[in-house]
Amino acid sequence: MKRLFQIVSLFLAMSFLGGMAQAEIKIGIISDLSGATSDVGRPYADGVKDCIKYINEKGGINGQKIDMMQIDYAYNVQQALSAYNRMKSWGMVALQGWGTADTEALVRQVARDRIPNFSASYSAHLTDPEVAPYNFFIAADYSTQLRGALDYLYSTWDKDRAPRFALVYPNHPYGLAPIPAGKEYALELGFEIVGEENVGLGDMDATTQLLRLNRQKPDFVWVGGTISSTAVILKDAQRLNMDSVFITNIWGSDEQLLSLAGSAVNGHIGLQTSVIYGADVPGMEIIKELTNGRHQMTHYVRGFASMYVMAEAIRIAMDKGELNGPGIRDAARTLRDFDPMGLTPPISFYPDDHRPNMSVKLYRLSQEGMELISTETLERRADWLGK
Amino acid sequence: MQGKCGLFFTTYAKECQVFHTDFQKSTVALFFLVLLAAPFFLSSYQVSLLNLINIAVIGAVSLNLLTGSCGQISLGHGAFIGVGAYATGICTLNGWPFLPALLFGGATTALVGMIFGIPSLRLKGIYLAIATLAAQLILVYIFMHWTSVTGGAIGMGLDPPVILGYSFDTDLKMFYLTLFFAVSAVLIVKNILRTKSGRAFVAIRDFHLSAESVGINLFRYKLQAFGVSSFLAGIAGGLWAHYTMYINPEQFEIGLSIQYLAMIIIGGLGSVIGSVFGAVFLTLLPEALGIVANLLSGFFPDISTYFLAMRDGIFGLILVFFLIFEPDGLARRWQLAKSYFKLHPFAH
Repeated sequence: MKRLFQIVSLFLAMSFLGGMAQAEIKIGIISDLSGATSDVGRPYADGVKDCIKYINEKGGINGQKIDMMQIDYAYNVQQALSAYNRMKSWGMVALQGWGTADTEALVRQVARDRIPNFSASYSAHLTDPEVAPYNFFIAADYSTQLRGALDYLYSTWDKDRAPRFALVYPNHPYGLAPIPAGKEYALELGFEIVGEENVGLGDMDATTQLLRLNRQKPDFVWVGGTISSTAVILKDAQRLNMDSVFITNIWGSDEQLLSLAGSAVNGHIGLQTSVIYGADVPGMEIIKELTNGRHQMTHYVRGFASMYVMAEAIRIAMDKGELNGPGIRDAARTLRDFDPMGLTPPISFYPDDHRPNMSVKLYRLSQEGMELISTETLERRADWLGK
Repeated sequence: MQGKCGLFFTTYAKECQVFHTDFQKSTVALFFLVLLAAPFFLSSYQVSLLNLINIAVIGAVSLNLLTGSCGQISLGHGAFIGVGAYATGICTLNGWPFLPALLFGGATTALVGMIFGIPSLRLKGIYLAIATLAAQLILVYIFMHWTSVTGGAIGMGLDPPVILGYSFDTDLKMFYLTLFFAVSAVLIVKNILRTKSGRAFVAIRDFHLSAESVGINLFRYKLQAFGVSSFLAGIAGGLWAHYTMYINPEQFEIGLSIQYLAMIIIGGLGSVIGSVFGAVFLTLLPEALGIVANLLSGFFPDISTYFLAMRDGIFGLILVFFLIFEPDGLARRWQLAKSYFKLHPFAH
């Protein structure tokens, strides 16, 4: 009993000490560490946390340290809501969100409570401040990524017929998001769309869908899924001897894919919006130091960059004496070609346009690793905003 | 109570009373007083949990009426809640006031529920489960692909409920609204069970042939159970939609249906109070596990990583333990606890 009392009082003392520390910048982190997307959610969250560690070790932002509260919501909307409410009553000024489920569920809440949310759900409609005034992210949206890939494919096309294009995606909000935009732009450029198939995120076999596609002989196939479904698709395509080039989207191409799909990845193209671990940019030196040179997935780099950009917005807001939600949002909107130490292409936000940039990086996938082949930067077309 | 050494009922009507003694009445009244005052002393996070519980209570008692009392197993409850959410949301987006929209959402869900309940005349047990599973899949497919109405994959943004110009835009205000509907739902179901329909439901559950031979119209009462249950599910959905202010098809997938089934199994099949316990338990469990994991991470950073990964496993383990050690659910535990105190020094 005495022992129990000691432990309880230790807990209380620690929570008191935590509460008595000097004024800190409170950042909430909603992560998926145990749910459906935890395989990529963990490295992303590690990136966010390591960036906070890095900033705090440098002395914080304008001398104020960042205090974080991380909650695992297991990719469940209800738990995301209660996590958000818990952070709100804790007093967070800004939020680092995660995937489609929590970001979408919180769009209206963060707008009402005026808490900027930097998340990793790159759905294009979130870039329209009319729809989502407090949502930000630091990667080109899914639609822009697909358009950028199409641009690259079309500009490198050398045969004298229209390239044949097909799409494979899950029947899921995340997979469906870029499809209308991609089809429209493909037709605009002069592609011929020859097929569309659904492969679910949890599917273990894609043979029937790929057999149907193969009859149309597509030159390029968009794969909009996550790692496991992408690996299934690439392996089945290899087995069927398809000679199409597959373009895998951002959540479907990382280091896990290379090991899961083995030789089936060779020659295909993966999209990224950040550099990969080990790239020769200033930010990578810091990341290497933080991780003791242990290889991290690309999601880690994006998590790091997301927090880094948010910290810059907070710094500007503090300089103006407005360390609060609207202040941070307005500060973020003043960013012009802000370079997060080379980790991602430069970031700009505008009051009427939250697209961070229009750049997508294309990597050639192979078993040995990923090799950058091109960084495509599109024009910031007004009619693409939010679509 | 004077001079009596127990409860004796001399008429059926008396036995059917919801509250038998003054003591029961006063404790329930006290409970509600505390509940009504509680939000003023709780943080908005804790109030938000109460809101989630209230909404879950509506969903759970409605499913318990259908599955627990009438014996018609449904794997489509999550999608029915979704129908209510979308129907209510579409109405309020078109300028309807909240209450008519909510009732319309309930009515639409009742209709949809009855349509999918039609196979229940021919199908029983596991076959009905599969038929309702089909309802679940079909409805989510419709949410996802009827883009012009439901917003498709992008979903639908909504505003907090407004009743007669008063906006329920905080957790605190929302609490009283959801509590009102939760209490109403519990009372409705409790009272239905005391009527002819309620007894017919139980008779159908216990043995459909005997029920039919004593003159119960199986088709009518099964459809009635589907209708009432879906109506309440629709109300829960409408409240959920306007509480979260955003709905998309992902929220109403099979996982939600399973969660509601788990609530009524843990709470106690066929018991109204059990559904309430189940809803409270399953809403708080992930929060509690998360808080434990967070506390642990302060001391053993490595252990908490494993703990988080095990959280779903622990969740499943608790379900299994319930099925093994307390198949009658929390409702029975509650009875045992009550009788323990009632009989106190004389336990047997």
